[in-house]
Amino acid sequence: MSKLRSQKDYEKTSAFRFWQWLSGEKDPYIGNMEMKEQEVFQESPIVVKEREIDHIKLHNKIYDIDHNKELKLFRIFYRISAVLLCGVIMAALIICVSYLPETGNPNNPTVNEVAERYVEKGTAETGVINTVTGMILNYRGFDTFGETCVLFIASSCVMILLMVSEEKLKTLPKNLEPKDDKILQYVARIIVPVLMIFGFYVIVNGHLSPGGGFSGGAIIGSGLILYSSAFGGEKIRKFFNENVYKCIKITALIFYGCVMTYYFYTGANGLTNIFPLGTPGNIVSAGMIFYINLFVGLEVACTVYSFYALFKRGGL
Amino acid sequence: MAVWEWIRFIGGAALILLGLSIFFVEIAGVFRFKYVLNRMHAAAMGDTLGLSACIAGLMLMNGLNFTTVKLLCVIIFLWLASPVSSHLIAQLEVTTDPDANEYEKIQDIKTIEEEGKENKNE
Repeated sequence: MSKLRSQKDYEKTSAFRFWQWLSGEKDPYIGNMEMKEQEVFQESPIVVKEREIDHIKLHNKIYDIDHNKELKLFRIFYRISAVLLCGVIMAALIICVSYLPETGNPNNPTVNEVAERYVEKGTAETGVINTVTGMILNYRGFDTFGETCVLFIASSCVMILLMVSEEKLKTLPKNLEPKDDKILQYVARIIVPVLMIFGFYVIVNGHLSPGGGFSGGAIIGSGLILYSSAFGGEKIRKFFNENVYKCIKITALIFYGCVMTYYFYTGANGLTNIFPLGTPGNIVSAGMIFYINLFVGLEVACTVYSFYALFKRGGL
Repeated sequence: MAVWEWIRFIGGAALILLGLSIFFVEIAGVFRFKYVLNRMHAAAMGDTLGLSACIAGLMLMNGLNFTTVKLLCVIIFLWLASPVSSHLIAQLEVTTDPDANEYEKIQDIKTIEEEGKENKNE
C-alpha cells in the first residue's frame, strides 16, 4: 500500500491522535485537568518479612502448636475431612447434572410446560395481573424466602462486625454527624414524605404493576437514608431506633415463613386457604401475595437503611 | 383535529431536539473544562434543563393522561434533587481540595463589603 503522506505529516493529523487515544497509547486528559495520578502504595520487602514473622509468632503463641498434640491431630483431620467433603459434594452435583435433560432440547419440560402454565394459568391461579410477581412470590415463594433470609443474615453480619455500644453512639465525634445544611434539610423536608408514600405505593401495587417488595423497599430505605443524612442520627432515632428495627425485621421474616408454609401446606393437601383471591385488578386481591409483598418491602427497607447507618456511624 | 395533532407533534419534537442539543453542550463542557466546578456546572445544566426539555417534549407528544402527571412528577423530583446534590458535591470539593486557592478566590463577607464601600466612595 502506498502512503500518500510521510510519517511526519501523518503524525500531525487528528486521525493519528484519534488512533493513539483509541489504542490507549496516550490519554489527552491526563495532566490536562487538575486531577493527579494516584501514588502506588509501596512497602520495603524487609517490613513485609517482619510482619509475616510476627504473624507466625503470634499464631504459635496463641495456639501453642508445638506442645498441643490434640490441636495438631485435629488440624490434620480437619484438612483431610474438608477435602473429602468437597469431593463428595462435587461428585454428587456432577452425578445430578448427568441425569438432567439435554440443554437446548425443544421437548424439555422447562421449555414447554412451565412457561406455558405461567402465562396461561398464572392470573387464574394466583390472582395477579403482573405475572412476574406471581412467579417469584407464589410459584417460587421459597426461593424468595431464601433471598429475604440472605438479606437478614447479611445485615446481621454487618451488625456483628461494625456495631458500637449505645453510649459510644450518643457521644460521636462531630465529623461523623452531618453538618446542618439548610438547603439539604429544606429539600429533604419536601421529598422524604413523598418518597415514603411512593415506596408504599410501589409495594402495594406489586401484584398489579411492575414493582413489588424489593423495589418499593429500596425506595423507602433510600428515603430513610436521605432523612438521616440531612438531619443526623439523633432525629431519626426518635422514630426508627434499634428496637423498632429488630421488631420489624424479625416479625416480617417470621410472618413470611408462616404464611408461605401455610399456603404450601394447604395447597399440597387440597384444602382451601383463608386468603381469598378476589377479583384480579383490585388492590386487595391475589391472596397472600399482597401480604408477602408488604413483608418483603419492610425487610428490604430495614436492610438498606441499616447498611447505610452501620457503615456511617456504627449504629442505627 | 389533525392540525392540532401536527402542532403537538412538532412542538414535542422541537422540545426533544432542544433537550438533545443541550445534552451535547453538556458533554462538550464536561470534556473541555479543566476544573471540577466548571465541569460540574456543565453537567448540572444538562441534568436540569436538558432532561426537563426532553420530558416536556414527551409530555406534549403523549397528551393529557395519567402518564403525563407521572412525567411532571419526574421533572419536579429532578429539579429538587439534582441541584442539591451538585451543591453538596461542590461544597465537599471546596472544603477538601488542598489547592483550591489556586483556582478560586474565597473571600470573606467582610472584605466583599469593604470593597463595595470603596467602590461607592469612588
